[in-house]
Amino acid sequence: MHQIEIKSANAFYEKLHVLKNIDLNVDKGEIVSLIGPSGSGKSSLLKMLVGLLIPKSGKIFLNKTLINFHNQSDLRNIREQIAIVFQQYNLFQNMNVLKNVCIAPTKIQKRNPKEVNEQALYLLEKVGLQDKLKSYPDELSGGQQQRVAIARALCLNPQILLLDEITSALDPELVKEVLDTIRLLASEGMTMLIVSHEMNFVKEVSSRVVFMDDGSIIEINSPKNIFEKPSEKRTLDFVGKILKEK
Amino acid sequence: MGYTLVYTQVLEFLPYLIKGAWISLQIAILAFFGGMFFGLILATIRTFGNKVSNKIVICYVTFFTNTPQLVQIYFLFFALPEFGILLSPYIAVLLGMTLNAAAYLCEIQRAGFLSIRQNELDAAKTLNFSLVQQVKYVILPHIMRVLFPPLSNHYIIMTLGTSMAAIFGVEELTGRAFNINSETFRSVEIFSLTALIYIVITFIATFLLAVIGRYFFKAKIRIIQ
Repeated sequence: MHQIEIKSANAFYEKLHVLKNIDLNVDKGEIVSLIGPSGSGKSSLLKMLVGLLIPKSGKIFLNKTLINFHNQSDLRNIREQIAIVFQQYNLFQNMNVLKNVCIAPTKIQKRNPKEVNEQALYLLEKVGLQDKLKSYPDELSGGQQQRVAIARALCLNPQILLLDEITSALDPELVKEVLDTIRLLASEGMTMLIVSHEMNFVKEVSSRVVFMDDGSIIEINSPKNIFEKPSEKRTLDFVGKILKEK
Repeated sequence: MGYTLVYTQVLEFLPYLIKGAWISLQIAILAFFGGMFFGLILATIRTFGNKVSNKIVICYVTFFTNTPQLVQIYFLFFALPEFGILLSPYIAVLLGMTLNAAAYLCEIQRAGFLSIRQNELDAAKTLNFSLVQQVKYVILPHIMRVLFPPLSNHYIIMTLGTSMAAIFGVEELTGRAFNINSETFRSVEIFSLTALIYIVITFIATFLLAVIGRYFFKAKIRIIQ
């Protein structure tokens, strides 16, 4: 069953056409990685799925329901089901770690604070931050902040998790700790869309890999095929260049 | 120096001075919050308004930040009666300080608007915060945290600036100190006691502002600096 269906979606930043005729289906439990050069539209695609970028044309279905991005109730609905972790963590600087994780479930989802607190403690322990509950974001390393952001997203109990270049702002030694967390989630069967430049990680965890360039999807293929025998020349050029740099 | 400090004589006037300090506080608080409110309107226009309204605000701010506050109050007190508007000394000082504060607080609050982090707003939106919740949990605490030091500094400058009111005959703290001085001639004791009262007032103000910032706006502010 397709959990997300995107049909001929186009989106713009003012006059800049950032997403061009995007067609993509994501099944439940699938892990789809988006790769491509900077400015190819990968992050824009994730932003569109959570309504931070409104598509100008095309149709997007979530669990078979057509989303109207101009309707606040529809936006609320998609944001209840899809959580996003940003490249720059986007934690609330005036709240400590525990508050960052608990605020949306308690104040927005109106869930029982005690139950939310227990879940937050479980998640923060899972990402190895049980001793940082009272710390503020500016007291944490980049890797720790990113793991708080992941815990915050998971505490919403989303059906789908979007990860937008979550390791690109981190020092190499911090990348591993974040990727280990994602590997754990992947093993639990959560649907994920991942934008990443960590090709080995993409190869390891993805069900399918989408290569994007200049706002368009150029190729959708298995990780093995994308990296070993891509069907498009642009994919081959990109992958060849990336692997050569490594 | 053969001067002997004798505080017993001036301490008799302490209640009289404290009543004066209360008037100073009233002027400072009213002018500050009046200036905050008016400054917020100006800052909103300056940030989100059109070219014409923006230019008007720039002219206002330029005028009030480039002329002495004393001259501005003199104008209200001595020039306006020529146009049939007669203000009491208290009102002239209060109005003058409010209009002056609005110009400075406009710029301070505008800096707060410009410092709002889009990243955090994006996160709040994707977490389904309503606009009111974004303001309450993200924008206000952030603005308060960024603006707390300049706002509290400005408030303290304004509190100390209320001594200007003495020139117009308002019997606030400094005005009353003048009165006692002309009666007792114990200048050292009177003005050192007056200075001490100003220090206490500003310390209490700093403390209260920090408490408000921390507990009402959830801003991460140290209570004792």
